[in-house]
Amino acid sequence: MSQHVSFLLLGLANGAVFAALGLALVVTHRSSKVMNFGASAVALLAATLYAGLRRGELFLLVPGLPRSVEIGEELGFFPAALLTLAISALFGLLVYGLVFRPLRSAPPVAPAVASLGIAVVVAGVITQRLGTRPQPVERIFPAGQLHWGDVTVQKDKLAFAAAVVAMAVAVWALGRFTRFGLASRAVAQSEKGAHLSGIPADRIAAANWMLSALVAGAAGILIAPIVPPVPIQYTLFIVPALATATIGGFDRIGAAVAGGLAIGMLQSEVAYLRTQHDWIPSNGAAELVPLLLILLVLVARAKPLPGRGVQLQRTLGRAPRPRTPLLPALAATAVAAVALVLFEREWRAALATSLILGTVALSSVVVTGYSGQVSLAQLTLAGVAGFLLGPLTTDWELPLVHTQLPFPLAPIAAALGAAAIGVVFGLPAVRIRGLPVAVVTLALAVALEAAWFRNTDLVSSSGKDVTGPTLFGLDLRVGSGAEYPRLGFCFLALGVLLVVGLGVARLRTSSLGAAMLAVRANERAAAAAGVDVVRTKVVAFALGAFIAGLGGALLAYKQGNVTVDSFSAFLGLSLFATVYLAGITSVSGGVVAGLICAEGIAFTIIDDHLSLGRWYSTIAGVGLVLTVVKNPEGIVGPVHELLLRRRRRTVSAGAELGAPAGERPRRRVPGATVLSLQDLRVRYGGVVAVDGVGFEVAEASITGLIGPNGAGKTTLLDAISGFAPARGHVVVSGRPLGGMKPHARVRAGLGRTFQAIELYDDLSVAENVVVGLAAGRGEVDDTLDLLGLAGLRELPAGELSQGTRQLVSIARALVGRPTVLLLDEPAAGLDSTESRWLGERLCDIRDSGTTILLVDHDVQLVLDLCDEIQVLDFGSVIASGPPADVRNDARVRAAYLGGVAEVVA
Amino acid sequence: MLTCTSLRAGYGATTVVRDVDLEVGAGEVVALLGPNGAGKTTLLLTLAGLLPRQGGEVDVDGTPLRSGRPRDAARAGLVLVPDDRSLFPALTTRENLEAARRRGGPPARSMLDVFPALADRRDVPAGSLSGGEQQMLAVARALVQEPRVLLVDEMSLGLAPTIVESLLPVVRRVAEEHKAGVVLVEQHVRLALEVADRGVVLVHGEVRLQGDAADLTRDIAQLEAAYLGQGEGDEGS
Repeated sequence: MSQHVSFLLLGLANGAVFAALGLALVVTHRSSKVMNFGASAVALLAATLYAGLRRGELFLLVPGLPRSVEIGEELGFFPAALLTLAISALFGLLVYGLVFRPLRSAPPVAPAVASLGIAVVVAGVITQRLGTRPQPVERIFPAGQLHWGDVTVQKDKLAFAAAVVAMAVAVWALGRFTRFGLASRAVAQSEKGAHLSGIPADRIAAANWMLSALVAGAAGILIAPIVPPVPIQYTLFIVPALATATIGGFDRIGAAVAGGLAIGMLQSEVAYLRTQHDWIPSNGAAELVPLLLILLVLVARAKPLPGRGVQLQRTLGRAPRPRTPLLPALAATAVAAVALVLFEREWRAALATSLILGTVALSSVVVTGYSGQVSLAQLTLAGVAGFLLGPLTTDWELPLVHTQLPFPLAPIAAALGAAAIGVVFGLPAVRIRGLPVAVVTLALAVALEAAWFRNTDLVSSSGKDVTGPTLFGLDLRVGSGAEYPRLGFCFLALGVLLVVGLGVARLRTSSLGAAMLAVRANERAAAAAGVDVVRTKVVAFALGAFIAGLGGALLAYKQGNVTVDSFSAFLGLSLFATVYLAGITSVSGGVVAGLICAEGIAFTIIDDHLSLGRWYSTIAGVGLVLTVVKNPEGIVGPVHELLLRRRRRTVSAGAELGAPAGERPRRRVPGATVLSLQDLRVRYGGVVAVDGVGFEVAEASITGLIGPNGAGKTTLLDAISGFAPARGHVVVSGRPLGGMKPHARVRAGLGRTFQAIELYDDLSVAENVVVGLAAGRGEVDDTLDLLGLAGLRELPAGELSQGTRQLVSIARALVGRPTVLLLDEPAAGLDSTESRWLGERLCDIRDSGTTILLVDHDVQLVLDLCDEIQVLDFGSVIASGPPADVRNDARVRAAYLGGVAEVVA
Repeated sequence: MLTCTSLRAGYGATTVVRDVDLEVGAGEVVALLGPNGAGKTTLLLTLAGLLPRQGGEVDVDGTPLRSGRPRDAARAGLVLVPDDRSLFPALTTRENLEAARRRGGPPARSMLDVFPALADRRDVPAGSLSGGEQQMLAVARALVQEPRVLLVDEMSLGLAPTIVESLLPVVRRVAEEHKAGVVLVEQHVRLALEVADRGVVLVHGEVRLQGDAADLTRDIAQLEAAYLGQGEGDEGS
C-alpha cells in the first residue's frame, strides 16, 4: 500500500506541470473560447528567460539582435521571476493584439491553428538562438525528503504541487471575488450580454490573455529546475495539458487542477504497476492515461446532434470545384517528370520527398478540408502503413507460396491496415464535434506512437527494414549509394501522387464529396437533407487514412528502413500546419504543401542558396499565423479567387431568375391524408413548447402554420422532422415515424428547410441541390427548372440574393422527391415582389403533387396561398380552416393584436 | 433624444430595414409595432450597435454613434433589452446586476426595490429563474445603467398577460421620471399603445403607419390591415 502511495506522490511533480498548463488553458478558454495549443510554448519561453536571468543574462530572442545582454550580476529568484513574468504578460498581450483579436469572430479552428503556429515559432526561435543543450537551473524549493510511516515524498515536489494549487486558488479567487473576474465570466457566457451590460469585452479579453500568459509563465518558472528548458520536452506537455483542461471542461479550475495532478500520479502509478505485472506494456501505458481520460470525459458529455442555432461556418475557406483537373494534372506531372530526370541526387531526393508528403497532405485535404474533421494524426496513420510494410515485405510469408506479399499488394495491404486504424481514430468524431476531435486525434497519435512505433518490444531501435518494390522484373527500388534515388522509384512516387490527386479531385465532384462538404458546413442541415452523417465521417477517416497509408508506404520504401523519426506525432503537427498554410481545402493546396514542407524541394533549394534551413520551420510558423489571420484558404487562396472571378464573368452578368421551364403543372384536387399528427407534445425542461397538437394534411395541398412569436411553430416542425424529442405520433403516408432519426425521416418522404437557410456558400446552386440527392431519387435539373433556377446553376450560392437563396434551399429539400415538404419561413427577408414570386413557385410545387406544410410570419402570403391554415398559440392549435374563416376568427385577431378588437368603443 | 435617419440594416447581403427614420424625444415612449419579419428586432440591434449599419445615421442627444460599435451606444446611454434577454445564465441575479453597474451609478441593490419579486431570488443563477423573473432581471439590468435611451424588444414574449401588465408601467415610469426616450417593440398591441405616446408600424422593413397612440387605437381597421393583410375576397390559388 505504501509503495502505491509513494509512487502516486512521485507523480505529483509531473501532475503539477500538467495542472499548471491546464490552468492556463482553462483561463484562456473561459474568457475567449480559444483552445490555446501554444500554452506550453509560453511556459518554455518563461523557463528559458528565467534560466538566463538567474545567470545574469537576458536572452534576446529576436533574430538579428545579439544573443543576449549581460545584466551584470546573477539575479535572485524574485527579481528574475518578476521580470520573466512581466515579459510573459507582455507576450500574451502582443499575441492577443496581433493574432487573437482579429480572429475574435472566426470559428474556433482558426485561433487554435494560429496558436499552433505560435508554438512552432517560439520553439523554433529558441532552438535556433540558444541551441538545445539543456542548461541546469538552480532549484527553487528546498531539497530533502519527508517521511510518513513507510511513505516517502520529496519536499521539492510537494512544494511544487502546493505552489501550483496555490496559484490555481488565486486565479479562482480572482474570478470569483473581483469585478474583473465577474466581467470575465460574464463575457464568456454571453458576449452579447456583455455588450448590453456596458462591459468592455475587448479589454477584458486582452487582460485574460495576459493572465493566461502569466499563469503559463509561472508554470515555466516553477518547472525549469525540474525539467530544463529544452523545446522538445516542453512540447511533449501539450497532450496531458489538453487532457487536464478537457477534464475541467475547459471551464472549471478545480476539476482541471485535480485532473492534472491525477494524470501525473496515475502515470507514475502505471510505471510502478509495470514492474509488478508483466501484462502491462512497457511502452505506451503512460501515454494511454491522458488519452483514456480525454475519451471518457468527452464521450460522456457528447450530444448526438448539434442543437439549434449552430451557425453555418465558413470555417476553412472555399473548397473550389476542380473543373478539368486532367489537363493541369498532366502538365504538372510532365514538369515534375522532367525535373526528376534533370535534377541531380540531392534535389531529386528532395523532390521525391515532396511528392510523397504531398500524398500524405492530400489525406488531410479529405479528412479536414472536405469533411471538416480536424485530424492531427494523419502522419501517424501514414506511419502505421510504414510500420506494417516492414514485416509485410521481409518477415511475413503468405501460406502455400512461402514468399512475401508482392508489390503492389504489399503497400496496398499496408494502406488498408492504416485505413482500419483510421476508422478507429475517427470513431470519437462521430459523437464529438469541433476542436475536441483535434485533441482526441492528437492524444491517439501520441499513444499509438508510444505503444507501437517507440515500443522496443515490437520494433527494434534500429528500425524495421523494408524490401524495395519490384514489379514484374521492373526495379522500382530507391537504390543506395551513388544510385540513390533511382528514377524508377521517383516515377512511382509521382505516379501515386497523380492518381491520388485525380482521385481526390473526383471525390470533390461526387455526391460523397458533396455530402462531406455538407457535413463540414452544417451537420444539422446535412442530416435534414438526408445525409448519413455518421457514415460520411467514418468514410472520410477511412479514405484519408488509406491515402496517408499510401504515402507512408512510399516513405518507408524511400528510407529503406522505418523508424519513428519520420512519423512522429509532432512532425505530424507541423505537416498539418504546412497543409493549412498551403490550402487545406483543395487538391492544389495538398500538392503545394508537399512542395513547401521541410526536407522537400522548396526547402532544399532555399537551403542551398540561403542556408535558411534551420529557420525554415520558424518561418513556416509565422507564415501559418499570418495565413490564418488574413487568408483562410491558404497560399493557393488568391489563385483560386482569381480563377473564380474570371469564370464568373463568362456567366451572364445579372442572371435573373428565369421563368420556370416546361409546362405549368396542372392542378390536382387535394386527396387523401398524407401527413397526420396526433397529440404531439414537446417539452424542454419545465417549458411546454408544443402542447398536444394534432391535425391532418391532405395530399397535394398547401397548409399554412401561423401564430404569434413563441407559439411553437418551429418547434413543431422540429418535432415532425426529428430534430426535437417529442411524444405523440407523426404518420407520413400511413407510416408512423416514431423514433426515426432525421435522415431516415427524409428517406421516408419528409423534406425540410430551415429558418437560417443554411446553404453551402462554397458550393454552386447545382451542388447545393445535389446534396439533397443523398435521399435518393429525383432529378436536379427538373427541380431547378420547376423553380426557375436553371440559369443560375453554376453560380456559388454565397452570391445570390435572399429570394434566390430561399428558392435554392427549397430546391435542395425538393430534389429528394419528398411526399411532404416542410418549409420554415421561406419568405423571410423577402420584399413584396419576391414574396409573390415565391408564392407562385410554391403553387407550382403543389400542383406537381408535393404536399407543403409551411410556417411563415407573412400572414398575407399565407392567406393568399394556402388551402388550409392552422393557427398556433402557446403551443396549441387555437383555430383552423380555410383562409377566410381564419382571417375573420376573433381568437386569431386577439392572438396577433393582443385584443385590440376589444378596445373599440 | 434618439434620432435615426435613413437607416438601412440587415445581415450580410440581405437588407431587412429600408430607409427608416425614427425620432424619440426625452420622456417619450414610442411603440414600435408590426408583424414578425418586419425588421423590428433588426432595427433595435442596429441602433444598439450590435449589428453594423448598411446606411444612415444614428445619434443620441446630438452625439453620433458609429456603426457596429456597442461601446459607443453604451457610453451615450443607449441600452437595449433584447428579445432573448441575453442574461448570464450561470451568474446569480445579483451578479448579473453587478456586472452592469456603472461606477458612481446606482447600486445593484436599488434595482431590487424596483422589482421586489427579484429580492428573494438574489442568489439564484439567472438560468434557473422563471420567464417573468428573467424578463424583470433583463429590464433591471438595463435600468441599473441609468439609460438615456431605453430600447425594449418583445418584453411580453412567453409571459402571461398579467405579468406583462405589471412590467409595462415600470417602463412608463422610466421615461417620465428619468426623462429617457423609450422604444418599445411589442406584439401585444393594445398593451403597448396604452403606455406609449406614439406608435410606429413597420412592415417589410418600411414605416407603413405612424401617429399618436390614441389615434392608432381608435382606427383599428388600419392597424389590422397592416398586420393581417388586406382581408376578405383576396384568396389566390
